[in-house]
Amino acid sequence: MKHIFHHPPEKLTGRKYWRSLGELADTPEFREQLEREFPAGASELNLNNVTRRNFLKLMGASTALAGLGLAACRKPRHLVPFTKSSEWAIPGKPVFFATAMPRRGSTHPLVITTYDGRPTKVEGNPRHPVSQGASDTYAQAAILDLYDPDRSRFFLKAGERAKEADFEADLDAIIGDAGDGAGLAFLLEEAHSPTRERLRGEILKRFPNALWSVYEPLGGDRARAAAAAAYGPGVVPNVHIDKADILLSLDCDFLGTDQKSPDDTRQFTSRRRVEKPGDKMNRLYVVENRYTVTGGMADHRLRLPASHIGHFALALAKELGIDVSGVEAPGEVTFREGWIPELAADLKSARGRSLVLVGPRQPEAVQQIAAAINAHLGNLGETITGIAASDLPAPALPISALAEKIAAKEVKTLVILGGNPAYNAPGDLDWAARQKEVPTVIRLGFWEDETSEGVRWHVPAAHYLESWGDGIAADGSYLSIQPMILPLFGGWSELDLLARFAGQPKPTGSELVQETYRQRANPSIFDTGWNRFLNDGFIEGGWNTAPIAFTGGLPRTGIPAAIAADNFEIVFPADAKMDDGRFNNNAWMQECPDPITKTTWDNVAWISPNTAKELGLKQQILKSEHPLIAITVGERTLKAPIFIVPGHADRSISLSIGWGRSRVGAIGRGTGVNVYPLTTTEHPYFARKASVKDAGETFLVAHTQEHFSMEGRELVREASLERFNEKPDFVTEMGGDEHIPPGGYPSLYTHPELTAPNQWGMAIDLNTCIGCTACVIACHAENNVPVVGKEQVLMGRSMHWIRNDRYFVSDGGEHQDLHQYAEDPEMVMQPLMCQHCENAPCETVCPVNATVHSDDGLNVMAYNRCIGTRYCANNCPFKVRRFNFFDYNQRPITPVKVPLLGEVNGLKLGPLTEKGMPEIRKMQKNPNVTVRMRGVMEKCTFCVQRIQEARISQKVKAGSSDNVKIPVDSFTTACAQACSAGSIVFGDISDPESRVSKLKAQEKNYRLLSYLNVNTRVSYLARLRNPNPKMPDAKRKAAAAAKHAHS
Amino acid sequence: MASDTSTYDTQKEEQYRAEVARVPLVTNDRSAQWVTEKVSVLTEKKTPLWWWIAILITSPIAAFGFFCLFYQVSTGVGVWGENHPVGWAWDITNFVFWIGIGHAGTLISAILYLTRQQWRTSINRAAEAMTIFAVCCAGIFPAFHVGRVWFAWYLFPVPNSNGIWQNFRSPLLWDVFAVSTYFTVSLLFWYIGMVPDLATLRDRSKSKLRQWLYGIFSLGWRGANRHWRQYEMAYLILAGISTPLVLSVHSVVSFDFATSVLPGWHTTIFPPYFVAGAIFGGFAMVLTILIPARWIYPQLKDLITEQHIDKMCKIILLTGSMVGYAYAMEFFMAWYSGSPYEIWVFLRNRVADPYIFGPLFDVPPAPYWWAYWSMITCNVIAPQVFWWKKNRHNLLIIMIIVNMVNAGMWFERFVIIVTSLHRDFLPSSWGMFHPTWAEQGLFFGTFGLFLTLFLLFMRFLPMIAMAEIKMVLPEADPHRHAAPENDGTKEAQH
Repeated sequence: MKHIFHHPPEKLTGRKYWRSLGELADTPEFREQLEREFPAGASELNLNNVTRRNFLKLMGASTALAGLGLAACRKPRHLVPFTKSSEWAIPGKPVFFATAMPRRGSTHPLVITTYDGRPTKVEGNPRHPVSQGASDTYAQAAILDLYDPDRSRFFLKAGERAKEADFEADLDAIIGDAGDGAGLAFLLEEAHSPTRERLRGEILKRFPNALWSVYEPLGGDRARAAAAAAYGPGVVPNVHIDKADILLSLDCDFLGTDQKSPDDTRQFTSRRRVEKPGDKMNRLYVVENRYTVTGGMADHRLRLPASHIGHFALALAKELGIDVSGVEAPGEVTFREGWIPELAADLKSARGRSLVLVGPRQPEAVQQIAAAINAHLGNLGETITGIAASDLPAPALPISALAEKIAAKEVKTLVILGGNPAYNAPGDLDWAARQKEVPTVIRLGFWEDETSEGVRWHVPAAHYLESWGDGIAADGSYLSIQPMILPLFGGWSELDLLARFAGQPKPTGSELVQETYRQRANPSIFDTGWNRFLNDGFIEGGWNTAPIAFTGGLPRTGIPAAIAADNFEIVFPADAKMDDGRFNNNAWMQECPDPITKTTWDNVAWISPNTAKELGLKQQILKSEHPLIAITVGERTLKAPIFIVPGHADRSISLSIGWGRSRVGAIGRGTGVNVYPLTTTEHPYFARKASVKDAGETFLVAHTQEHFSMEGRELVREASLERFNEKPDFVTEMGGDEHIPPGGYPSLYTHPELTAPNQWGMAIDLNTCIGCTACVIACHAENNVPVVGKEQVLMGRSMHWIRNDRYFVSDGGEHQDLHQYAEDPEMVMQPLMCQHCENAPCETVCPVNATVHSDDGLNVMAYNRCIGTRYCANNCPFKVRRFNFFDYNQRPITPVKVPLLGEVNGLKLGPLTEKGMPEIRKMQKNPNVTVRMRGVMEKCTFCVQRIQEARISQKVKAGSSDNVKIPVDSFTTACAQACSAGSIVFGDISDPESRVSKLKAQEKNYRLLSYLNVNTRVSYLARLRNPNPKMPDAKRKAAAAAKHAHS
Repeated sequence: MASDTSTYDTQKEEQYRAEVARVPLVTNDRSAQWVTEKVSVLTEKKTPLWWWIAILITSPIAAFGFFCLFYQVSTGVGVWGENHPVGWAWDITNFVFWIGIGHAGTLISAILYLTRQQWRTSINRAAEAMTIFAVCCAGIFPAFHVGRVWFAWYLFPVPNSNGIWQNFRSPLLWDVFAVSTYFTVSLLFWYIGMVPDLATLRDRSKSKLRQWLYGIFSLGWRGANRHWRQYEMAYLILAGISTPLVLSVHSVVSFDFATSVLPGWHTTIFPPYFVAGAIFGGFAMVLTILIPARWIYPQLKDLITEQHIDKMCKIILLTGSMVGYAYAMEFFMAWYSGSPYEIWVFLRNRVADPYIFGPLFDVPPAPYWWAYWSMITCNVIAPQVFWWKKNRHNLLIIMIIVNMVNAGMWFERFVIIVTSLHRDFLPSSWGMFHPTWAEQGLFFGTFGLFLTLFLLFMRFLPMIAMAEIKMVLPEADPHRHAAPENDGTKEAQH
């Protein structure tokens, strides 16, 4: 087989800046080098279960696409072997593709970095208004799933390996027998793909009696139903967080697990950028049962059990003057005195500029009351606008209704596309058993999981980076999803399977999406428009708006009763890392500390200090042994380790979903407890009549931060907005800075001259950082940071180069005992990576010169030189250096069975275990970053590979001139790039025009531990709170800030 | 003249004079021949049973230590309990502990030699051997605590293709030079001092192998006047070289901590405090070894007399009090600095116990309060019993106290290293340290190694400096004419 590969003419290759920077220069030397370059080691490749030939095909796949314009021709028969690659594909240089990640709430626009055909890194699409280059934890972590060694690789017929052709034949037979679709049912995940909706239409045309059901454990069913009741069926509310001056969150973690897209964070933080005295700032009130990242940002926070939110909303509505006489609210609930009247007054004062958000999983009645409040406050049409409901997917059958149909034997063939209902459907449905009642179940799944058990066909699903698709972004614009790589294990996409039911052959390329695109965009010249669509990743556009007005009344019933005196409330929040359980086999997510508790590898029952005391439970700070409690809801009981979280509501326990998977890959095995069995269709979010008792056992919980108090050290500096206006440089009087002599301290040593044209530095705005940990995962992906496993985290050896320190600040003084944080403490976050000290204490102590300073101001590590004395880490005041205690990249981090000893952590067995990393895992590694071996110290490098890349391209551009200064703000680090709040800003501090220089010039800029004379290159902008001076706790907050300033 | 000094009590004066009169260094009036006989015979007669039993206990312990070391090198430093933030724990604790033990040897051999403290002669050989063996044990820890020991040669200024030099600002590098110099000089000093005695053993040897080996190592010593002159000069010079080393090595080791920025480490009083501590711990170890040796070989009681033990106890009392003063001063400086970080380390990481000081300062107990108070009890409080002469002559009490000192000095290093590291600047990074069997095994193993080496030394080398002892015998005094009463034919009366 000999193919002649035609390259697209340059003009068709799309905009040049999608391509590698080095290529931009396109010098003759560069081309010469290119021709000489040969892919080294190609003959040694041996991907697990993939032949070398296939692998080369795969590698070539996206190379063929590198020009983007050629995308439409992407069929397996046109694969380009890497050895005959096109002249513009430069081995070792990244190629960037625009695509999008299908998500529950919206589709998120992305740009993917690929090296030699391997996608390695996810970034937000910088040109899309929703993303603006930013992403979030989930988008960052998704790349690891693509290379999950445990992902589904085979077609399985009744659990046995089968051929794809057999499946297709059986599928055709099933489709042929389907008749008018009676007995045929589809169960899908929530997604907003116009092509999927188009296929749905075609399928339902062909099989009018087929059932179309959508289930999403964290989906927006309730919010949609409540909105339909409040505003009528033709309109869907769209909130504008950035337009609100006063926000009230009723158990809505809109900056965390409840957010539609990272744009919510940007909208919120855009109103908290206070640069100089007099700048305005929004005010956030949060009422919630547990600390969330949203609660951490609150100016006033009230802790309240989740089932009392309805009572609160009702009391607020009453205070605002809404007639609530017809609403039943069983039981008595009292709130902190003075809170509701002052909150109501504040909301009233901002008519049309306020916004009340309610948790999407709160009961419909609660959401309807919130809608009434918003309407009463004049927010409709201002901070809440309407989207025409026709813009969104038509309603589908809920899973409970589908379960009833199955129970009634009305379903003969069930097609489950994605999701994992056998694991995550509400406990009362008993879905796993229900599913087995259906004669024929076809399951498209990314993993062989709980739902794959007992099905007739399990079909391996393709990752979204392997398949064609489309979606709608949070702003209503149309996004393209294009593959970066052919399906590694020959999986099918959702659209592939649906196309068969719609009577079309399985697509070999983008035909299906092209058809949708043609219908939606109707371009004058198809090829140009399509190529541009793929190149940009989106078509600009927005929602069709619809007038919004409150037409519904208040619900009469539906507000949950107050918790009885002898009962506990168990809340099942979404997990900040596992989401609904989909990231359970993702090692980065497992090891990423929870934003609040900093726990890894398990879920824990969050409990308030008072409730723990009531139950007689004691959590030792210095030990990782946490007492287990037995939680009984109805007839089901489970045991979970407690975690005392200050600021948690009393008699309420939060236990996040997404853990305790029974059939999962090696990473997720044995992590956490599954709480789905406790959920019910009626109460998927909380169970009110629970009993809790001490199980009398303990459980080891691995967390990365033991201590929760700053101990008066003023590491996170904070003040009220009022104080900032009075004294904008309040930070200079804190943390010992007031004792630094004018002109600073002298240094004993001479230091390297910092003479390079660019001087790198960073500023982190604590006022906008919400602590979401997207930076942590972005750093994992960019810098090949290893995962160490639960046992090592327990030993205090997590390897994160950037961590997010969380402190609780109490006005009652600093506490050593968690139980003393009975009342509401405030929570602050502080991202911390290597501070790149100019007088670095680590550098002077390294005996072998393995850590030294570069002339552009970086504290650099020479891994090859490092012998691992750990002296640098000991002398690092910030404790940001990370030591490879074991060969984390080469040895199993999971238990290994050993004769006599039983299960032993693979790391401890060292040379007795198999050495090496699965080939598939290697594919994710950033080729520009060394994978470190054991015995070597590592730490944040300010993404030195990105700096070098920029420097090389600038040098190439400069030629013989000496214009080697890298243009201002032309690139950034992985953490800064991922940050949707824009809190982390990296750049050239020697250039006054750079964003980082401007931030550092602000008066609330300070450096950590500057009394040590270390001259850090990372600085922080102090945090501000905007309390309502009339609130009962306002004085307390002001007092806390004042105490900070003067202690 | 006599009339106005009638109150002067001549009798009393004589009584006082008798009391301060020098007790002979070798009791029972032993002759030179007796000394030669009794010391040489230790290496010559049939190996006693106890020795076999002892070495069969100590050498497997040493082997187990080496197994732990092998496991650590083959698997990773992670088999120890160190973590972030506690990057050093037992490894450097043990290093400083052993290096400290090595101090008494050089102090006895060099400083006491230069100051003409003749009582040193009967204990210097064993103390020097102890120094060498302790430094061997100490050296294991810094060498193998590194993550990649196969690259540890980067620590030495060896020309290499990268053209990278060591970082001469790093105290760890100073350690490399200080410890290796110390080891070399100590070894030379020990060996040079042993040459005349080796020649004695050679001359007494009956087997060919012994003649040959002692012959080689005695470097052709014939006891000629010229030999003695040059020997004395060499010994003096080496003593001169060693004397600053006594002060420098532990000062340099203390720089590891003193030059850092870490509260609890960043302390300028460390050099003298470490040296005092090292001498303190070193003498405790000398007594720990020599008292049992004296019990096993009763004839040594005439050489290592109660007077020696008494003097060493006094040194322990002195240096222990110095160390106690340093502890107090550290605490005072932390308070005086006004730095919350410094105060935290001393009060909240160390001193605050759950019973007295915690409640007194109204702070919760420090996680390692037990280590701190073990250190204070063993190092400051326990040696105070040596104010009483009676206690300085009760071997049981001495053995208890010196072993407390040994433990206390280990705790001192542990307290300095671990309690400073585990909770430093940012509370977010605070942690705890839990040792594992592998590092405990290695530490245990170094005791096995130390004792094995010492047993070998006792068996094959003259453990008392015979030639030097003879110089302090009364008969070596040119003004003494009487023949020794006890020429060795009579047994000692014990």
